[in-house]
Amino acid sequence: MRTNAMPSFWTRLLAWAAVVLLLPGCASLVPQTMDLRTDWPGGVPQQVDLAQVPFFAQRAYQCGPAAIGMAMAYSGVAVHPDALVDEVWVPSRHGSLQVEMLATPRRHGRVSYRLAPRYADLLREVAAGHPVVVLQDIGFIGSTWHYAVVNGYDYATGTILLRSGLQKQQRMSFTAFERTWLQGGYWGMVVLPPGRIAATATEERWLEALLGLARGGDVEATVQAYAAALQRWPDSLPAAIGLANHLHLRGALDEAATVLRTALQKNPQSVIVLNNLAQTLSDLGRHAEALALLDRADRAQSPFASEVRATRQRVESRMKR
Amino acid sequence: MKLVVKRTTCRVLVASLLTLSFHTAQAGLIGADQVAPARSPGNDRALVLGTLDRAEVAAQLQAAGVDPRAARERVATMTDQEVQVLAQDIENAPAGALSGWGWAAVIVVGSLIWYYAIRK
Repeated sequence: MRTNAMPSFWTRLLAWAAVVLLLPGCASLVPQTMDLRTDWPGGVPQQVDLAQVPFFAQRAYQCGPAAIGMAMAYSGVAVHPDALVDEVWVPSRHGSLQVEMLATPRRHGRVSYRLAPRYADLLREVAAGHPVVVLQDIGFIGSTWHYAVVNGYDYATGTILLRSGLQKQQRMSFTAFERTWLQGGYWGMVVLPPGRIAATATEERWLEALLGLARGGDVEATVQAYAAALQRWPDSLPAAIGLANHLHLRGALDEAATVLRTALQKNPQSVIVLNNLAQTLSDLGRHAEALALLDRADRAQSPFASEVRATRQRVESRMKR
Repeated sequence: MKLVVKRTTCRVLVASLLTLSFHTAQAGLIGADQVAPARSPGNDRALVLGTLDRAEVAAQLQAAGVDPRAARERVATMTDQEVQVLAQDIENAPAGALSGWGWAAVIVVGSLIWYYAIRK
């Protein structure tokens, strides 16, 4: 009796030890999938399939141009990945860098937004109709980096839908996907037309994305994007200044002045608003008003003191003419 | 002393050339990128460092096989923050790149698993 009882006790102990050891092990292997199981993000439907996302099969090593091409084409840019190779591919690395994936859509008047590293944010964007470009490590031994586009998911079957490599519709389980996605720090991005705002955008991160769009040089797109941002965050000072500067660049001086006046009511002390409004009014020929604003901006300790001084000199020299 | 002056002049010239080619400010207007309080004010030093970073990254891209003009255009559309990130690890950042052979391996291993583990 005693000899029989002993092994069963030890077997049970071993089984429990295995359970105790493996449970947190599993959870830490796919921490975010485990969270989704108990805490599905609110307001997100359980099944989405963005079937309209186009599919471009990749050429050897060129998953970057293919993935960003799919996202850009879906956002309305008429583009083929072959044309993007020169923009986003690094020959000696046989691949594409994340920063360049973000920079490429900007040259075509689209906003690139890098997502926060959260599964819930990925699902939320897909649910909002924004396919997500993701970086995966799909190596068996060692790292093999790969870009793909998530265009849907199904909670009931636990499946993520991807356009990936040569597969028009790849299906991966939530856990398998998280394993590949986790290695690259949950890197994901969306490409949006300038009037749209990402579903998971925060004011600060979105305005950072718009600074990038502005560098792309498409003034019309930048104006549109800043206008949308200002509508969403009416108190945002960077959005107002960005909008006014690009309206000014486009030659719409009156509109720029209106935006800056509204911003000035909300931020009466802002040296940047005072300086830019003064410059804009002076460009409209209203030099006296400009000088009055510059008097208000005249603060020696301001980091923009030299810019304000330069604006004053410009206005004064215009008045002498 | 003369040498020092010459060298400094050279550096200033190099920096100003780079500034001209990469800096895209509007006359008289302060940019939206200057608003965030966390960022350093647009002093000249930060500007020069920024442009040097850009030139460096463009040169690195060029060394990695990218056409020189394309390299400059590519760097021009990155934010300052992104340029800094890239300057630090252009060699080590993961670059997505699955080759045809990679796919062959995926398919072979996948079918082996299917054959032995599932089909039996």
